[in-house]
Amino acid sequence: MTYTPDTVRHLSEVSVSVELQTEDMTLNIGPQHPSTHGVLRLVARVDGERCHDVQPVIGYMHRGYEKLAEVRTYPQITTIVNRIDWVSGYANEVPFIVAAEKLMQVEVPERAQYIRLILTEMARISSHLVFMASFPLELGAATPLFFALRERERVLDLLESVTGGRFHPNFNRIGGVKPAYGAGSSTRKMAQDLPAGFFRETRTAMEEVLKVCDEIETLVAGNEIILARTKGIGVLPPEVAAAYGVSGPNMRASGVAFDLRKVEDYLPYDRFDFNVVTGTNGDSWDRWWVRLQEIRESARLIQQAIDGIPSGPLQAKVPRIIKVPAGETYVRAENPKGEMGYYLVSDGGLGPYRLKIRSASFSNLSILPWILEGCLVPDIIAVMGSLDFVLGDVDR
Amino acid sequence: MTSSQSEATAHPLQAFAEAVAEAVGGTSEITFDTVKVKVPLDMWVEAHTVARDQLGLVFFSWLSAIDWANHVEAGDSLSRDVDERYELLTTVGDLDEGRRVTFSTDLPKDEPVAPTLVPVFAGANWHEREASEMFGIDFAGHPNLIKLYLPDGFIGNPLRKSFPLLSREVKPWPGTVDVEGMPGSDDDEPATENPEA
Repeated sequence: MTYTPDTVRHLSEVSVSVELQTEDMTLNIGPQHPSTHGVLRLVARVDGERCHDVQPVIGYMHRGYEKLAEVRTYPQITTIVNRIDWVSGYANEVPFIVAAEKLMQVEVPERAQYIRLILTEMARISSHLVFMASFPLELGAATPLFFALRERERVLDLLESVTGGRFHPNFNRIGGVKPAYGAGSSTRKMAQDLPAGFFRETRTAMEEVLKVCDEIETLVAGNEIILARTKGIGVLPPEVAAAYGVSGPNMRASGVAFDLRKVEDYLPYDRFDFNVVTGTNGDSWDRWWVRLQEIRESARLIQQAIDGIPSGPLQAKVPRIIKVPAGETYVRAENPKGEMGYYLVSDGGLGPYRLKIRSASFSNLSILPWILEGCLVPDIIAVMGSLDFVLGDVDR
Repeated sequence: MTSSQSEATAHPLQAFAEAVAEAVGGTSEITFDTVKVKVPLDMWVEAHTVARDQLGLVFFSWLSAIDWANHVEAGDSLSRDVDERYELLTTVGDLDEGRRVTFSTDLPKDEPVAPTLVPVFAGANWHEREASEMFGIDFAGHPNLIKLYLPDGFIGNPLRKSFPLLSREVKPWPGTVDVEGMPGSDDDEPATENPEA
């Protein structure tokens, strides 16, 4: 057969005008995948490169903390709430302890509140630095990881020097914080304070953190591949975020200037000067950018807090056996991942009658079916990574 | 439930709580700085619609339940007898002043069915799936009421008070040995009480 120009034109038209009838494929991602930060499985219907009907399958890490809390005493519960979002374990303790203190009507000494604030912001920095390390890595840029994790070590060392734990500090006590070294029966009388040199080392560390923010910004914001893969990808409109309960940096990236540190009184944030950073487009890039700015704001907060920390006791007078009077309250806090809250129902006993744990990543992850609808398969990673969830925080 | 403020000085949130209660047709109370509005079950969806559209409470925080039971298999029993029921709770908030309301409604123990909130707040989807598997509450009209955390075929509703905690049945919790004294507390108050939880 000879190909006349006419037949060639005809064949080429056929090839573009007839759609191939292909079957949709069901793609399974996970439960083990580097981008899932834990154990998460996604089932997606894939049509070519497009995903539809993405269904997250969770529960692989469900530990039943709400039930476990019902059979524990109040001081014992801080150990388990530490393990909800393990990247910022310290920050999980604070709203729970504040809820119990609220029911007991305990006034926490100012110095203890400042220490809580400093450590909470350190937890935020270390959590955001993990994000600064992992998110570019998932998109193929390995270098920021080394910069981010180096400074994260520095911050974790400081947390460890105060609390004795890197990931699970278990440092809050109802009525204040635990003294730095040892709280055994022999040392109880001489309540000890922060470790020697803590303020000096913190100042150095915060300067280094601010420096690494600049370095990471140069590395990532100047990377055209990352820009191309994240700008305009996974756009989350603010009204959708609100309806799904998406909170924290993910919501602020969509342009909502709402930060629980500004409106709730769980820690004395009203005495400090810090900005609520917002994005404009609500895409994956803005979510990265907002978190980078939040590291800077947290470092500034810590600098102000160590300048103005008052002296005084670390502990309010509380009974030796903690009994929380009957009552209900909901205390929420701005955690690194978003709104973390505890609805505490007490009946006056040694442990709660019911403890509802509202974790940020749970609601942040529930947006996945909406945000991944119709996106490209490689963009799944770019969008999921930018939401910065931890599966321990999802499954509780 | 008492308010954390005395009756004489009105709580700063008092006016807000009353305005919400009036708008949604419920009764309000303030428990320790938490505005709680109780609504009848048949007003459940409407109350949330009004909260979202008229009161600016657009942010859906969470939904869960409390099992009010007089017989408890795991944990402490209540100190007083209560009406046995499931209390369904949600919390919604605004995104500028930081106001929030916890809505509450009662469901009967024998037939716990509530209308779904998914058409009002899409985020209720997962929360209702969780409440459904954990408390055995049915959400009428829910698009996909399958198990969320628990494996398919799991029998029972773990957060019901009638559900025992197996590990505690096998081995009781250690007693006084792991209670440590609070720093700065005096020794004239010895730990004689058994903190068995």
